[in-house]
Amino acid sequence: MWSRARSWVRAMLRRSRIESEMDAELRFHIEAFAEDLVRRGVSREEALRRARIEFGGVERAKEECREARGVNLIDSLVQDLRYGFRVLRKSPGFTTVAVLTLALGIGANAAIFSYIDAWFIKPLPYPQPDRLVIFEAQDKKHGWTSGGVTSTADFFDFQKQNTSFEQTVAWGGASLNLTGDGLPELVDGGRVSWNFFDTLGTKPILGRTFTAEDDRSGAPHVAILSQGLWQGRYAGDPTIIGRNIAIGGEAYTVVGVMPGTFQFPLMGIANLWTPLALTDMQRANRGNVWLPAFGRLKLGVTLEQARAETATFFAHIEKEFPKTNTNLTWLVSSMTDRIRKEEGGPEVMICFIVVGLVLLIACANVANLMLARATSRTREFAVRGALGATRRRLAGQLLTESLLLFLVGGVASLLFASWGMRWIESQIPGHIRGYIVNYGHVELDFSMLMFTLGITLLCGLVFGFAPAFENSRLDVNHTLKETSGHTSGSKRGAQLRRVFVVAEIALAVVVLISATLLVKSFIISVRSSPGYNPANVLVAQLALPKTKYTEDSQLRNFSDEVLSRIRALPGAASTSVASHVPFGGFGQGLEFQVVGKPLQPGERHGAPFTAVSADYFSTMQIGLVKGRFFDSSDAYGTSPSIIISQTMARQVWSGEDPIGKKLRLGEQHSVGTIVGIVHDIKMYYLRERPGWHIYVPLAQFPSRTFGFVVRSSGDPTIMATAIRDAIWAVDRDQPISSVEPLENLIAAVNTGDRVVADLMVFFSVLAMFLGAIGIYGVMAHLVSQRIHEIGIRMALGASPVHVMRMVLSQGLKLALGGVGAGALAALGATRLLATELYQVTPTDPLTFIVAPLLIAIVALAACYVPAWRGMRVDPLVALRYE
Amino acid sequence: MPDTPSDLVQGTLDMLILKTLALEPMHGYGISVRIEQMSKGVFRLNAGSLFLAIQRLERDGLIDGEWKPTENNRRARYYTLTAKGRKRLDGETREWGRQVAAIGRILEAS
Repeated sequence: MWSRARSWVRAMLRRSRIESEMDAELRFHIEAFAEDLVRRGVSREEALRRARIEFGGVERAKEECREARGVNLIDSLVQDLRYGFRVLRKSPGFTTVAVLTLALGIGANAAIFSYIDAWFIKPLPYPQPDRLVIFEAQDKKHGWTSGGVTSTADFFDFQKQNTSFEQTVAWGGASLNLTGDGLPELVDGGRVSWNFFDTLGTKPILGRTFTAEDDRSGAPHVAILSQGLWQGRYAGDPTIIGRNIAIGGEAYTVVGVMPGTFQFPLMGIANLWTPLALTDMQRANRGNVWLPAFGRLKLGVTLEQARAETATFFAHIEKEFPKTNTNLTWLVSSMTDRIRKEEGGPEVMICFIVVGLVLLIACANVANLMLARATSRTREFAVRGALGATRRRLAGQLLTESLLLFLVGGVASLLFASWGMRWIESQIPGHIRGYIVNYGHVELDFSMLMFTLGITLLCGLVFGFAPAFENSRLDVNHTLKETSGHTSGSKRGAQLRRVFVVAEIALAVVVLISATLLVKSFIISVRSSPGYNPANVLVAQLALPKTKYTEDSQLRNFSDEVLSRIRALPGAASTSVASHVPFGGFGQGLEFQVVGKPLQPGERHGAPFTAVSADYFSTMQIGLVKGRFFDSSDAYGTSPSIIISQTMARQVWSGEDPIGKKLRLGEQHSVGTIVGIVHDIKMYYLRERPGWHIYVPLAQFPSRTFGFVVRSSGDPTIMATAIRDAIWAVDRDQPISSVEPLENLIAAVNTGDRVVADLMVFFSVLAMFLGAIGIYGVMAHLVSQRIHEIGIRMALGASPVHVMRMVLSQGLKLALGGVGAGALAALGATRLLATELYQVTPTDPLTFIVAPLLIAIVALAACYVPAWRGMRVDPLVALRYE
Repeated sequence: MPDTPSDLVQGTLDMLILKTLALEPMHGYGISVRIEQMSKGVFRLNAGSLFLAIQRLERDGLIDGEWKPTENNRRARYYTLTAKGRKRLDGETREWGRQVAAIGRILEAS
């Protein structure tokens, strides 16, 4: 091996010397041979001639010697590349189609890959992210988890006593009212324990992070800004550190500015942070599970060790506080894993798989084109073979050509990729960008270039291999003997092409069926009634500050006054208010107990909870199932009334009539009577399944957050300014978080699904188009090869219609084979989509009939052109053509 | 003995070249002439395959090539057997003998 390598290196270094030595040696051989012949009495000329014949091709021998030394590798690569470029340039039509196909296929993959990379491959943007873990309360008995939250008392006890964690952090998302310095503004941000930034490991670009002192209840108020907020609202004020700003009407001192790249995907967009600063009473609360928490493992402590310690700790707590903590423990999971499982991840994965299928179709297409083109180049290969090119050399050259083609396609794909990435990004509204993992790191970077290069080379090798192999195996004698330049090519090559086409069509069917299911589910979810009528409804949302509105009566007066002002506006057909409106962001949940049905220890009942004004249901047009709506009798000071959702009524009281039953609600244990049952509504998500919901009168359950709901007779947006003015007429300093048509709020939440649906439409059109090109190419080629035969048939009396039928039936066979295989494959594949589908089964019969049918029709249409050409063959011309 | 030269048994060319060189250093043409003579015209070497084999043997370190003047004062590349080559030749000769004997026994058995 070593001496082989040495000889190769030597050969490379001293190529010319070796070449001339080889020449000299071979010349000596011929001359010596000739001399021998002369000595035997042959004339000198004749001797030389015979010597040369005897010797065989000098060049061939030299070539073989070179090959044996391995010098040829580089040599022939350069030669092949040069030749490949010439060949590609010579047939611009083929090259353009192939490069475009590849650029689209690879580009779409690269664009989707940038999100796969950000989501699943790149580490979270913090130092040593594998040491970060998420805590969440878990019910050991039922497996129920809290979705990332803990109770404050559990958290602080664990913080004090654990030995596995360097730091444990609690946080909560918050919308903060920023007043002073211009218009009041509601800024998304968070309330965080002091060690939030230090534990994640991000340093501020100005000032400092919070200290433990800042995080005590009653400590001087401090705040940290994002770079965006600092440069926007405060115009990059260089003296921002130490400056006082007003949050919720209270003065806060700015102590730091975080870099623009800082992001915490669980919190979403955040521009302003203040310390949690919980009171002692809040810290001691063990019953209310609401506090999101995470921690950083000490160096060298494994996740398993931390889990073991946590389990032991909560076994103790459970014994100590059976009332709140029976069956309760903490689930400790890697932050990276948790974040990757958040909404969005599965969707990105599905897009990636589908786009991968599209790439396979594109590659099969190009391989097919190359196979087809190669049959018209058989003579070229035969001549080269006769001149001494070995089979391996020919295959190598073809492989080089295809790699070259794929590489050009790969480079061109970067254009599509960057364009696709920009398009996807433009489709994602600002407020959900903060939830995208590694947002801001989705870019054309090194790993994406590597990915593009990788799939380009892989596809080029895999799909270039078949044509290269097929075409290098031709029989030189046979090919050269054929009189015309137009030969039939290898039979196996033709078979291979048919296999490619069937596979392509099958893949296109899988893509189209998957896409149709997703799009159908999207359309159904959009069209399905949310349980209310969102048309012509405008929603104004705001939150009143605790500092200014201390009494419940102030809250009541504020909402009453705003309501009466809006009702006075022309165009407001119906107006009401609720503590939370559908699709208005985070709502509130409430634990409850059915009076007379005691809970098992550790068992909990909870439901989303909305306090509404009396006419909320009629404004929203939520239907009554039974009982009554709220009315003026449900006033402040009277015994509370409750309305529940249909699903809750069915599941909690199964069969019994809930009207008149009593519920004990929340911490305050206020007891209310159920007076009505209403239809289920969608609160957060269009694909959401019907769930439990509790409504109470706003008059009896004061709220600090308000969504004013105005149904107008026409376009609601023209009322936006008047509604703002009505609110500001009541309180001039009150920021309004948004005034938006309800339909816009719904659309915004649904963006992810819409982007996926759009991409699916694009991918399936692309897949269908590529499949059609594939079958067209094969059929066109088949017809052109059979022109002679068709000519004979027609000369013998076959009618044009007959010829057409013959060609079409051949195409139909391919199409049906592909469609059948594709439908079967799709039956298996679509099961993976089940969780993403809304009211569509993964084996939706209509989709499984229509999609394959559509592909079959498109395929047949693609066959029509070649068939028509076959029909128009003039027997005289076809026969003379030979 | 057949009239036409027959093809070499696969894999024996290397052995024959080594054997020729074991007698004395020789150039490529000399090797082909010698093999033809020694086999009484049964084996005639194609120059292409001969040079291919020589290259291979030299690369594997079984023979060594050197430019030297010939008897009539021309330059030719002479090859000598290396120690490694001699060992290989011994091994192959022994193996060849075993095989020929075995084949002979099979052919005589019927």
